[in-house]
Amino acid sequence: MNEIIATILSATFVAAVIRTTTPILFASLGGLLSDLVGSLNVALEGIMLIGALTAVIVSAHAPWYIGVLAGLAAGGFLGGVMALFHLRFKADIILVGFAINIIAAGGTVTVLTYATGGDKGTSINIPSKAVPALDLSFLGNIPAIGPFLREVLSGHSYLTWLAAFMVYAIWYFLYRTPEGLRFRAVGEYPPAAEAAGISPNRLRTYGLIASGCLAGLGGAQLAMFSFVGFTRDMTAGRGFIALGAVLLGRRHPIGTMIAAVLFGFFEALSIALPGILKWMPGELIHTIPFVVTVLALMLSSRRRVTA
Amino acid sequence: MTPFLEAIGIDKIYPGGVHANKGIDLSVAHSTVHAVVGENGAGKSTLMKILFGVEQPNAGEIRLEGQPIVLHSPRAAIAAGIGMVFQHFSLVPSFTVAENVVLGVEPRAGLKLDRKKASETVRELAERFRLPVDVDVPVEQLPVGQQQRVEILKALYRDARLLILDEPTAVLAPQEVVELFAAVRSLTSQGRTILFIAHKLPEVLEISDTISVMRAGKMVGTVAAKEATEKSLARMMVGRDVALKINRAAPGIPHTHLCRISDLTVKNDHGLNAVSDVNLVLRTGEIVGIAGVEGNGQSELFDAIGGLRPISGGSVELGTTDITHVSVLERRAAGMANIPEDRIATGSAGGATVAENIVATELTDKRFVRHGLLDLKSIRDHAAKLIEKFSVRVQGPESAIGTLSGGNMQKVVVARELSSEPSLLLVSHPTRGVDLGATEFIWQNIAKARDAGAAVLLTSADLSEILALADRMIVLYRGRIVAAFVNTEEVTPEVLGSYMLGFAEQSAEERNAALA
Repeated sequence: MNEIIATILSATFVAAVIRTTTPILFASLGGLLSDLVGSLNVALEGIMLIGALTAVIVSAHAPWYIGVLAGLAAGGFLGGVMALFHLRFKADIILVGFAINIIAAGGTVTVLTYATGGDKGTSINIPSKAVPALDLSFLGNIPAIGPFLREVLSGHSYLTWLAAFMVYAIWYFLYRTPEGLRFRAVGEYPPAAEAAGISPNRLRTYGLIASGCLAGLGGAQLAMFSFVGFTRDMTAGRGFIALGAVLLGRRHPIGTMIAAVLFGFFEALSIALPGILKWMPGELIHTIPFVVTVLALMLSSRRRVTA
Repeated sequence: MTPFLEAIGIDKIYPGGVHANKGIDLSVAHSTVHAVVGENGAGKSTLMKILFGVEQPNAGEIRLEGQPIVLHSPRAAIAAGIGMVFQHFSLVPSFTVAENVVLGVEPRAGLKLDRKKASETVRELAERFRLPVDVDVPVEQLPVGQQQRVEILKALYRDARLLILDEPTAVLAPQEVVELFAAVRSLTSQGRTILFIAHKLPEVLEISDTISVMRAGKMVGTVAAKEATEKSLARMMVGRDVALKINRAAPGIPHTHLCRISDLTVKNDHGLNAVSDVNLVLRTGEIVGIAGVEGNGQSELFDAIGGLRPISGGSVELGTTDITHVSVLERRAAGMANIPEDRIATGSAGGATVAENIVATELTDKRFVRHGLLDLKSIRDHAAKLIEKFSVRVQGPESAIGTLSGGNMQKVVVARELSSEPSLLLVSHPTRGVDLGATEFIWQNIAKARDAGAAVLLTSADLSEILALADRMIVLYRGRIVAAFVNTEEVTPEVLGSYMLGFAEQSAEERNAALA
């Protein structure tokens, strides 16, 4: 037990939490934007997966940032497709979302096979690139806390810093700008927005596209930093965990970030634990993030009922 | 002088074939209050929707200050200086008053929303037009009357010179109506024009300069308010004399205690006490009216007695049985019937037929169900009988109830509930959105049930309805009984209103005298 606590309190573990949180945070912020305009994007999982594969394949032929942008663009495109089917053709958002999740699961394997010339599992033989890490080792010069800060903050992906900035940017957008006010109005009570001359469907389209872009970024981070290269089903439910983070975060950017960190923490724990608890089957340990998601959602909805 | 707004020969046929407006002419003078009255289905709402650009007329012309204009959307109407306040407010609950008012036309400072300027502008507007409201409070925390002010401010912020108010008094307590009328007068004195849809005639006579009456899609006539009386207007609206007078329970008949409600406490959806320690006895052959501003516990009280909401404290006895915690079915078996507040959501199943809706509460009755199978023929015959008896305007028992007008749908619900000959009848807002003719009919039938020995518990947002029907009256304020009366001439809407708004509270002795 002491060993577990020592692990959790170590700088290495905190850095690991930041790493595991980044893709979830991107997807969660995307989910938040779509949920706030009233069309919760349930395709985060599939969009992340497609974003990851797109980023990997493009980065093999272009600089790393073009790969990241390609992941973002692929996500934005899928968000636009969802908006088209949901808002123009009046299809149910849940069904459209699941269609994309299913297409992503099968489609990425097919495309991977063509791209690698026959490999159905990984992109290991494509020379894909990685997102560079931001070196902050100068922090180590600060007296006392310097080494700890360096361990925790240095060496993260550029995208991690972008994700942290996005939390602030989205908060500013939602709570400080007129457009954000309209966004929240559409999500909370569409007739009010309509009466004020705002088109709810236009804002929903923007929300879905933005959520796709963010999920695509999450995918790019996953396949160009967390792991370098694409593996089939590499998102492993992170898109669904992100949905949980949106609900648990009470539809607020800060709350969503806290929830994303919570899930990131348990994911990091499930990676660290097998080395410590050797008697426990690894499969059981890997279920921790998902069990925590379910428990957290149950507790949070329970609170809402009795509140 | 050219009228401010003119509608000439407006004709509207809905795609379903309903001819809602037949060659309507309307002329509204500048800086006046012009009321349009008429029964439900007379076409008032359609006309207003056309004037606000929500609906397009099939024929006719609209002129604003003499110039013909086409209102292809509400946005065009707003741009032309026409604003409308609907009965259902379109406010974002968690937004502040200022945010709601400026939404869509926000003042900005660079990228940012200029909150300070928004608050100031709205505050100035509110002061100028005598619509006092705290601009930095979320609207969900405001009472209905103030929410309505926010809606009016929204229109004024967009520079509306003509304001269309759709039944603005329907949701207000008497004192709030006084405040609304003060604001309306200050609006007209500052050059704004008000078009006012209503069906409560005394209010219409008080506030309007001119009154137009519609019936069955036609404009019956326009009169100056000074020359009109309640009676003359009612006759124009219905086309015959209406007697909205219900006899009180005959005196001298012994009323035995039927239902005893003791220390009843009920929680609302947020887990807070919506009804606290209510004690009340209902007697046979008597109507007890519950008055209160919406949201003071009436809904929860009725839901709790009806079995639609758990009771967290106290008890309800019907006759000798304790029904505090039993199911709706058992309550109905004990003799209870319920005409609920919302005929669409709880009173009926919209997609089902009239016959199915009527039989829905009788599925244990051997007449309609034998060996677990429905006897369709007897169900149909039973429905046809009730349709006849309650003169429901419907093609037949097989029509979907959702296609009926509000008044006819309500008649079906009333017919079903009364056909079980209940000993305890719960009635919530029985004539909300129901026209004058059907109102008269529903009132008479509730009175009939009372004369047959039922104990009736009634609530209504319309105080005149409670005053017309109830033998005793109780005022709920924040979930507590603050006053109780035996219905006499001395009890007026103003008296009830001061208790409803919490300005006064009776002493326990005074209350108990009317509660026992």
